Amino acid sequence: MSLLETLLSGQFLFAALVTGSLYALIALGLNLVYGTMRMLNVAHGDVVMLGAYGAYGAFALLGVSPIVAAPFVAALGGLVGYGLYRGVFRRLLASSTPASAGRLEANSLLLFFGLSILVQNIAALAFTPNTRSVASLSDVWHLGNVAMTGNRLVSLVVAGTTCIGVAWFLSRNIAGLAMRAVIERREAAFIVGVDVDRVQRTSFVLGFASAALAGALVSMLEQFSPFSGFPFTIAGFIVIILGGLGNVKAGLLAALLLGAIETYGVALTSANLRSVLLYGSFVGALLLFPNGLFARRAARR
Amino acid sequence: MRGLFASRVWTAALVSGFAVLAALPFVADDYSIGVGLALLMWLALTESWCVLSKMTGYVSLGSVVFYGLGATLVVVTWQKVPLWVAVPAAGLVAAAFAALVGGPVLRVRGPYFVILTYGLAELVKYSIIAAESAAGTASRILFGAPDLATIYFAMFALALAATLLLAWVSGSRFGHGLRSLRENEEAAETLGVPVVRYKLAAFVLSAAIPGMVGGVMALRSTYFVVGQVFDPMLSVTVIAMAVLGGGDDTRGPLLGVVFLALLSELLWARAPLLYMVLLGAILVVFVLLVPDGLVGLFDRSGRRRVAASKEAS
Repeated sequence: MSLLETLLSGQFLFAALVTGSLYALIALGLNLVYGTMRMLNVAHGDVVMLGAYGAYGAFALLGVSPIVAAPFVAALGGLVGYGLYRGVFRRLLASSTPASAGRLEANSLLLFFGLSILVQNIAALAFTPNTRSVASLSDVWHLGNVAMTGNRLVSLVVAGTTCIGVAWFLSRNIAGLAMRAVIERREAAFIVGVDVDRVQRTSFVLGFASAALAGALVSMLEQFSPFSGFPFTIAGFIVIILGGLGNVKAGLLAALLLGAIETYGVALTSANLRSVLLYGSFVGALLLFPNGLFARRAARR
Repeated sequence: MRGLFASRVWTAALVSGFAVLAALPFVADDYSIGVGLALLMWLALTESWCVLSKMTGYVSLGSVVFYGLGATLVVVTWQKVPLWVAVPAAGLVAAAFAALVGGPVLRVRGPYFVILTYGLAELVKYSIIAAESAAGTASRILFGAPDLATIYFAMFALALAATLLLAWVSGSRFGHGLRSLRENEEAAETLGVPVVRYKLAAFVLSAAIPGMVGGVMALRSTYFVVGQVFDPMLSVTVIAMAVLGGGDDTRGPLLGVVFLALLSELLWARAPLLYMVLLGAILVVFVLLVPDGLVGLFDRSGRRRVAASKEAS
């Protein structure tokens, strides 16, 4: 089989779709939280990591497959998001004057970076820094000439339907429309009577729940450790930068593109270059859109 | 704002601190010299970081890239090029890299700049790792590196140079230009500050000394692994030290470095994870509650004392 045939085979397409749908799910949560709060949450990948540990715990202690545990892990993630919003972030946003809000936005990255280091190392203290993985649904299925393990197929289906479901929610449901309004024009949304506090709370819960769900899927797909969250954050950022803030559908396409770049890039070169490709895409995306996520918003004005 | 009283005390503290550090190798044992070396290294890195990030508000999370490039250059040219050429060349390579990428990178602002610098450092790290593994080298050992005292004095010179650089920038016309673009870039440009040129100059200046520090530290560890000299935790530690210290002159880094370097000396070897937890906690607490850092706390208490004495008289 020639190289070209290998690349065009369904096998690679499937691999790209699995990776892409996972990135789409991670970017989705990041998009909602960042869009409504205007805080760059670099600890988002660490929520994914904690979700993976949640699924691992359910597997190791109760013998439950990650796919059964996934909804509970997601619910737990949502609960944590709710608690964090009510306990910390609502107060933080409410007490901020315009001047301190500006400083807070500038410093928010350092704040979340500090949180990220805290979470990673507390997780390493609690769970040991060793890598882990969950062997579940690893039987091989054949669909046409494509061989796939059950866990990859399940991951693709779960991540894909969740993303499409949320995209539908944002474009059809009244609460979803309110959320998009807050993402696009926060003040205007407030003036026309959108309950900004409630929207932010919902986006926090959804963002954390989807990250934890992604983590449960990750636990079946690859090895993870307390420090494997950050690359997911980076992948999420690339997707948002390419797809645009609040634009879940374009984000879906951007995530598939990133999945394809990674899968085909690694296939064409070597596995050593996976990180080079990921960070290369990230640096490239930011240099192309130096205003980050606002590039398109600014252009529209 | 700070008053003559405070600045004179600080200058005296700074000078006596450097005097003690200069005398250290003549009186102390190897362990203490090692602690002093770490202190000087962090001081050189943090003061250099401040030249760009404290002055302009462009917070870089990528200072390790300069350190790593410098270390790599010295290791790759080991025993091919004399050290008095290789170490300055390490600084030049780091500065040249900053000049090369500075144009496009410094167009990115705010939180995006922070995370871009992190991504860039990781990109360089993984590229060099890939190149090394393609060449078939996983790690290198340096034989016949200079003794500890020589390394110590080289680092002393770098720390002193970084401190003087920041002191000069902080008080110069150039530094005021940088501060003005930190407050409002558009307004500064309108008033005739050459914003683009100033930012790039600050970026290049902040890169040179970390490059040489990396080169010198490679001689200290004598065992070279790419992943280690490009460890992003170095950048994080530098930021934590600067945030802890606060301010935008030479005092902040000094306070932050002394505090964190001693903490790391106590904890790093015994409980590295606990040390990292504390580092994260310091970042969170200081960003949220003490945005002006230790210098801000001192200044405030100093002002209060001055006000109290005025009231009394």
